[in-house]
Amino acid sequence: MRIQGTLLWGLLAPALGLMALFYVVPLGVYFLNSFHLFRDGRIIPVWTLATYVEFFTDPFSYRIIGRSLQLAVIVTSLTILVAYPVAYALHTRVARPGVRAALALLLFSPLMVSVVVRTYGWLILLANQGLVNTLLRAARVIETPLTLLFNMPGVVISLTHIFLPFAIFPMYSVMGKLDLTLKEAARDLGAGWWDTFTHITLPLTMPGVVAAALICFTLSLSAFVTPQLLGGGRVQVLPLAVYNSTVEINWPAGAVAGLVLLVLSILAVRALNAVIRRLPGV
Amino acid sequence: MAPDAPSRGAEVEVRAITKRFGAVVAVRSVSFVIRGGEFFSLLGPSGCGKTTTLRVIGGFEHADEGEVAIGGTPMGRTPPNRRPTNMVFQRLALFPHYTVFENVAFGLRMKRLPEEEIRQRVGEALELVQMPGLAGRKISELSGGQQQRVALARALVNRPRVLLLDEPLSSLDLKLRLQMQEELKRLQRELGTTFVSVTHDPGEALAMSDRVGVMDSGILHQVGAPMEIYERPRNRFVANFIGDANLIDGVVQGTDGDTVAVRAGGVVVRARRAGWEQIGQTLTVCVRPERIQIGAAADLPNAFRGRVEDWAFSGSMVKYRLAAGPVRLHAAVPYLNGAPLFQVGEEVAAGWDPMQAVLVPTEAAAPGAGGGP
Repeated sequence: MRIQGTLLWGLLAPALGLMALFYVVPLGVYFLNSFHLFRDGRIIPVWTLATYVEFFTDPFSYRIIGRSLQLAVIVTSLTILVAYPVAYALHTRVARPGVRAALALLLFSPLMVSVVVRTYGWLILLANQGLVNTLLRAARVIETPLTLLFNMPGVVISLTHIFLPFAIFPMYSVMGKLDLTLKEAARDLGAGWWDTFTHITLPLTMPGVVAAALICFTLSLSAFVTPQLLGGGRVQVLPLAVYNSTVEINWPAGAVAGLVLLVLSILAVRALNAVIRRLPGV
Repeated sequence: MAPDAPSRGAEVEVRAITKRFGAVVAVRSVSFVIRGGEFFSLLGPSGCGKTTTLRVIGGFEHADEGEVAIGGTPMGRTPPNRRPTNMVFQRLALFPHYTVFENVAFGLRMKRLPEEEIRQRVGEALELVQMPGLAGRKISELSGGQQQRVALARALVNRPRVLLLDEPLSSLDLKLRLQMQEELKRLQRELGTTFVSVTHDPGEALAMSDRVGVMDSGILHQVGAPMEIYERPRNRFVANFIGDANLIDGVVQGTDGDTVAVRAGGVVVRARRAGWEQIGQTLTVCVRPERIQIGAAADLPNAFRGRVEDWAFSGSMVKYRLAAGPVRLHAAVPYLNGAPLFQVGEEVAAGWDPMQAVLVPTEAAAPGAGGGP
């Protein structure tokens, strides 16, 4: 036991060391800073709740929080809506393992491109004279170009795109564990495709959906580069507020906004975990 | 047969169905008719095509050739949800996220029946399978036997014309299995529903069914009442698969009235005439171990002398292995108090009533069929 214990800690040490050095310590510094004061371009190391009071009494803070939650909810919903059918198709329609592996690689390929490069790609695609608008106009879907840049739709499109693999794979893996004879049993008992889907497949794959939602929600909430570059300053979310404050050396304000972001993420994780635990058949 | 279960004629007609999975032929041109209100079993070793045949009847697979008609209506590519059949799945396939009640109610809900009727019929179905009072339970809280009953209730509540059972009892232990065999038979008799069961267990098929179809390698070898296929197996496979059989290869010497004499090694054995045998033909005599008499009881025209090579006691029977020249015989004699026990090495008379032995072709399979397993 003793040797095992030593070995265990030895194996855990690198990860724990990294976590302590780059997560716990900065978080502590952050936490301490949130109780300091920023006045006239300087941090005053006094102990006060003034920065919190400022944050929570400023209506602008609530707009930012609202925007962040709105973005996270929209992106999460859209991602799930797009990803679920993909996972379902991958699960039910692709039988050959080789094809499956190739499709999986394709789905993961957006992650191989740096976020900055990808975002500039979107800038080109979504511009007024960009590919999306050109195609839509050529197809006579629209007359005047849609404004897809430096606003919410642009950010939503880009985030949904990049979060797709994070949503597809949890759902796909849960679908893989679904006993296919349950679907046959439902068919046998008179259920058509839709009833089988809504009564059997969907409820039994909900754990995958919730897991995917959890990932997408927390990732959207903390997304920074995309809202920064594609939002054009019009999509004010918490990570941007943190960044802006930090750039202005206003660490206390940045710390407060950052902690609010952390609390929101924790609440989201807890809420969705509670949902998972209450799911039927788990 | 119970008087309230009248034969309704051909309920399920399977017409020359063939089913391939890639290069594998799972079912080869299989035809048979299941009568209304009968308990029919498809029996065979695993991979013989019996489950595939059942799934074709249920609409879960489509035959590459041939077709299935239920109640006189050709089914074509009708999906399972629009067939007058319900299935009890091998691994039961109960819905884990539903209670017992919701599982049983599922089929009725799909028919959009009023809640009142659903409640009543689910209650009746659970009573029928002797599971009242457990409607609110989760599936995971039930024992194997209880889950089996819920699966039955879930299918029967829909009042199918034909109930399909895919190895329905294979997940149960022996004692429970025997109990559920009786239960299934009782249900079938009470409801008069046509049951089509698939099993690899000959005992189960013989015990439960009105008629049995014996399959192997995708071929349906024989269809008949349990006693008929036991008494008159059509080939070696059927003879071997259903119960124990002595299979003695020999050459036809001549016929005498209803019997035929076959020379096997140095011994002449007699069997009931089949009609297709010819003098000089090589064929196989099949005789069941319990039909062989030994000792004084073997005072028969068809007796010869053999030596006891081994014996084993199994409670109700004593099983002897005899050697008569090159011929090896298994004989099973009921163990009665005080019955004489022959010893290893002892010379005994052995024989059987020629009418109790049947002829089968020496080759395993019927004409046009491939080899055995």
